[in-house]
Amino acid sequence: MRQLTLDVRAEPEPSLDNFVVGANAQVLERLRALACDPASAALYLWGPQHGGRSHLLRSTVAAARAAGQEAMYLEAAAVGTELPLAPGGLLAIDDVDVLGEAGQVALFRAFNDMAGARIRLLASGPCAPRHLALREDLRTRLGAALVFELHPLGEEDAARSMERHAAARGLRLAPEIVPYLLRRGRRDLPFLMAALDALDELSLTRQRPITLAMARELFDSQPDREATPKRSCPPAALDPKPPSDPDIP
Amino acid sequence: MVTDEIWSSCLAHLEKELPAQQFNTWIRPLRAEPAADDQSAWRVVAPNRFVLQWVRERYLSRLEELAASLTGTPVTLALALAPTTPNRATPPAPATAPPRAPTRSSHGEPAYERTRLNAAFTFDTLVTGRANELARAAAVQVSENPGTSYNPLFVYGGVGLGKTHLMHALGNAIHARNSQLTLRYVHAEDYYADVVRAYQQKSFDAFKRYYRSLDLLLIDDIQFFHNKTRTQEEFFHAFNALTEAKKQIVITCDTYPKDIEGLEDRLISRFDWGLTVQIEPPETEMRVAILKKKAATDQIHLDDDVAFLIAKNLRSNVRELEGALKKVVAFARFHSRPINLELAKEALKDLLGAHSRQLTLELIQKTVADYYKIKVADMYSKKRSRAVARPRQVAMWLARELTPISYPAIGEAFGGRDHTTVVHACRTIADLRLKDPTLNHDLHLLTQVMRG
Repeated sequence: MRQLTLDVRAEPEPSLDNFVVGANAQVLERLRALACDPASAALYLWGPQHGGRSHLLRSTVAAARAAGQEAMYLEAAAVGTELPLAPGGLLAIDDVDVLGEAGQVALFRAFNDMAGARIRLLASGPCAPRHLALREDLRTRLGAALVFELHPLGEEDAARSMERHAAARGLRLAPEIVPYLLRRGRRDLPFLMAALDALDELSLTRQRPITLAMARELFDSQPDREATPKRSCPPAALDPKPPSDPDIP
Repeated sequence: MVTDEIWSSCLAHLEKELPAQQFNTWIRPLRAEPAADDQSAWRVVAPNRFVLQWVRERYLSRLEELAASLTGTPVTLALALAPTTPNRATPPAPATAPPRAPTRSSHGEPAYERTRLNAAFTFDTLVTGRANELARAAAVQVSENPGTSYNPLFVYGGVGLGKTHLMHALGNAIHARNSQLTLRYVHAEDYYADVVRAYQQKSFDAFKRYYRSLDLLLIDDIQFFHNKTRTQEEFFHAFNALTEAKKQIVITCDTYPKDIEGLEDRLISRFDWGLTVQIEPPETEMRVAILKKKAATDQIHLDDDVAFLIAKNLRSNVRELEGALKKVVAFARFHSRPINLELAKEALKDLLGAHSRQLTLELIQKTVADYYKIKVADMYSKKRSRAVARPRQVAMWLARELTPISYPAIGEAFGGRDHTTVVHACRTIADLRLKDPTLNHDLHLLTQVMRG
């Protein structure tokens, strides 16, 4: 039998509208406001990996651009010794915990220039500001931002969003499929959606509807059942070598 | 004349010169096209203002050099914004590069532009207590007699205690008395960037002229000069010139002058010429006063018990203290609830982040084993006695509740058990906790411990 792999297809562009809200309604409202209101502000989102942080940062930037504003999304690894500060713009920095030494100074300076330049900063990381292993002057600035924890989806929300995802793709799922996926797989959305996509693929190949047996086969064919499927946006890698900060000879 | 080929060659050169991520972020999105009316000019189109500004400041001259060497004739590059999207209202930026000031890119209000002073930081908005009263008194005195009372004024203290606020307050007070004076607030890191720029652009004369023309120089976080020898030298000369001319210098630092690492002795000894004052971490009463004052400024009613709760949880610095207040206020507004103790506790959860560590199955197994005083090995052993089996089920239940890990993976970690065993364990514990208050208490306690 052919080896089956969990793989994802081209995801729809991340938007604030297609984020599954769960217990994060307040965050979403704030991000919508941040995208449209040019008043200077700083927000910090934290939560586990695969919890939707990058989705929210990217989609807030997209929403700001749609509202006619300057906005830019940067992974921490892409941050050099300075950050671009367009007056009145929105700057989103993902995964601040992997900022190198020079990148930390750059973000620190961006915070210092924030009020004067009327910029908005949106940052994300894996834990609350007080637990970030960053320079203290930067860490406290993140702690002074409006801080939100992103709460993972409960099983009910995850099930609902899988059903919606399936319906959007014209998939007909037997009622036992979603509970089965929740039982057998990791309960984070990227994994679950990829599992659905893989089932869709299998059902198309075989020209047969999705059945529980097919789902079982999919999981049994995976040597590593915990493996998280490929993500549409890879996690930011550590900058191999942060730009050196030498003084002039 | 520009051709696709030449543009591609330019990019290929830059790709070799720059780290890949920087190239992909800033250079790859650019498009070049011939300018309509001038064969020696190119129009370089940036997708947004961020990229435009960044390329203008960092890469424009290098691109021009590359283009000139490839075409054999001088080339002018004019930056422009990509055509606006249908719902975008902002007009395109001017296409030519402005003359570069010795400082960072410009923006904002004219007064801010000249002084870089934040108007919100004044002596009135600074809460005074035992921790900062000496520093404040010194700053007030300097603002009344700049250049003649204490020069330099050296303020030191930990991160987030209000050194920058005090410095801006001093600057604003002097500006309010005499707006003709030339004042400048500069962060040490920005001063360093100016030195680097002056070096790259061979414009040290302009740099020196500018800094020596000031009536008041406020330089923040001088510890950033650590091991930057050329920057220290420039600052040393600027310092001498300003103090000789009786111009005021105010310096902040995170430590006492003698303890600054990587700073030349001749600079450190000069810091002792004036007055050195410390700002200490605020005591609880002062933290409460800061919160009440901040709330009053924002016209928010804050009860003492709520202020104490916030002050108790955020002890080390004022900056995060104010962040916590912001969080509580935002939370109350979103839920349309009054600010009280219960609400504040709820709101602060996001900020304090109980989940300080990544929960692993090993950690859960160890914590539960310790709690029930059994061996960790019993978590994955084949033993089925009640004394071992129940804690094992508790650990499985916690793994399911507190992590996204799947049933099969949990089973695997508990001695290669089948996922149906884990499902059974979770159901058993979920049922039992409703009937057994002791177990329910254990689960509650263990959950709290795991969450930090």
